[in-house]
Amino acid sequence: MAEGSTPRVWGMRLLYVVLALILIFGKLIPLDFRPQVWAGPDLLVALTFAWALRRPEFVPALSVGLIVLLADLLFLRPPGLWAALMVIGTQALKNRARNLRDQPFMMEWLAVAGIFLAISLGNRLVLAVLMVPQAPLGLTVIHVVMTLICYPVVVMISQWVFGVRKAAPGDLDRLGQRI
Amino acid sequence: MAKDRSQADDFLGPLKRLLVGVLVLCLIGLFLVWRIDSPRVERFRAAVVDRVVPNVDWAMAPVTATVNLVRDFQSYQRIVQQNQDLRNELQKMKAWKEAALQLEQENARLLDLNKVRLDPRLTFVTGVVLADSGSPFRQSVLLNVGARDGIVDGWATMDGIGLVGRISGVGRDTSRVILLTDPASRIPATIQPSGQTAIVQGDNTAAPPISFLEDPDLVRPGDRVVSSGDGGVFPAGLLIGQVAADPGGRLRVVLAADYERLEFLRVLRNPGTEVIRDPGALVAPASERSAPAPLPEDGDILSETEDGNG
Repeated sequence: MAEGSTPRVWGMRLLYVVLALILIFGKLIPLDFRPQVWAGPDLLVALTFAWALRRPEFVPALSVGLIVLLADLLFLRPPGLWAALMVIGTQALKNRARNLRDQPFMMEWLAVAGIFLAISLGNRLVLAVLMVPQAPLGLTVIHVVMTLICYPVVVMISQWVFGVRKAAPGDLDRLGQRI
Repeated sequence: MAKDRSQADDFLGPLKRLLVGVLVLCLIGLFLVWRIDSPRVERFRAAVVDRVVPNVDWAMAPVTATVNLVRDFQSYQRIVQQNQDLRNELQKMKAWKEAALQLEQENARLLDLNKVRLDPRLTFVTGVVLADSGSPFRQSVLLNVGARDGIVDGWATMDGIGLVGRISGVGRDTSRVILLTDPASRIPATIQPSGQTAIVQGDNTAAPPISFLEDPDLVRPGDRVVSSGDGGVFPAGLLIGQVAADPGGRLRVVLAADYERLEFLRVLRNPGTEVIRDPGALVAPASERSAPAPLPEDGDILSETEDGNG
């Protein structure tokens, strides 16, 4: 892996895994067992997308796949499907990362919304085709909307706390190559 | 060096895409296997949960404790009021306790007079709640008891008062309880005093609806809902809750268990209901082996009844 050779990149990859694990276990904390009327945001998705658009090399497909698969297993979701969709969505965003780099934040937000809607719909569609019982549609819609509302916050925290910024045009990486 | 890298990129680009494709295919393959052969993958899930969750319990426990502490602290503000309420309630409870004791004695006497053979007492294993489902779409909790403690899939789980759910997924040290509110939960129930049977069907709301009710006119809000034991999955007679009608007129169960705070849960050991395999000696052609021996059996039943009631 040519661009993965610097210690900072490996450090940030590790940080992504650690943050994702914290988010997963934060959700597992047993506090309230009543069914909720509204679904909270999926911060794991927001974090993954925000990082994939800023520094694609920090969120390799393998770590996204394994982390989301772990979440699938722990959260009692159909294992593998959401993980596969997340990998596809992340790769799609990575492909657009270079184009979105000098666009305003609104465009990025729209791109994320599009991808997230697409994979959520794909998820429901596949589950419906295979006749897997699924959550009510309203709850999924709230889930998607809440995640998108929280996306800018996740982006801000990623930028200011963890220093995951978009590479400015003309930035060089350690090896003197344009990113 | 830069040149090296760009060459490496040319070489790595397609390879990486291929690897991502393989990863996606593996994940979709896992999903399809789960759809086709669910029990095997669910066992795998239970094993993963079993390995992961107890290991992070040390980190989750303090957070849970802190949040609960803060919540308790908030309730200090109305502690005087609460104390008074509790005292009043205690007075009422004392009267009820007296009545219950008298009824219990009377009941025991009547059962004794009628020579009723009672079910053997249910025993239970108590577990601590480790984690919840973590997803707004599913309602389940993880307990810290598992196959090591003899937990078996399908056993009923209660808190002190009412039914909470059933075991689904057992690891070595952990087991998952699907709560009654989960969309996948279906519990056969009897509604007292009318004796109608129905299914309590979880739908991700706090009060699961009652379905497959034969005659809704016989059921009133406030009736008790207990498990019926139909299908041999659950022991009969466990309290589920009370009937209530929602604004749409649909009958729902207000659960007796305190879902706001599930901390310790009892898993009821269910030895299983006995199945009668005997074809029935009177109907089937008589043979020497299946001829009943009435007298000694009668004596057995009598003595066992006395044991059971004593």
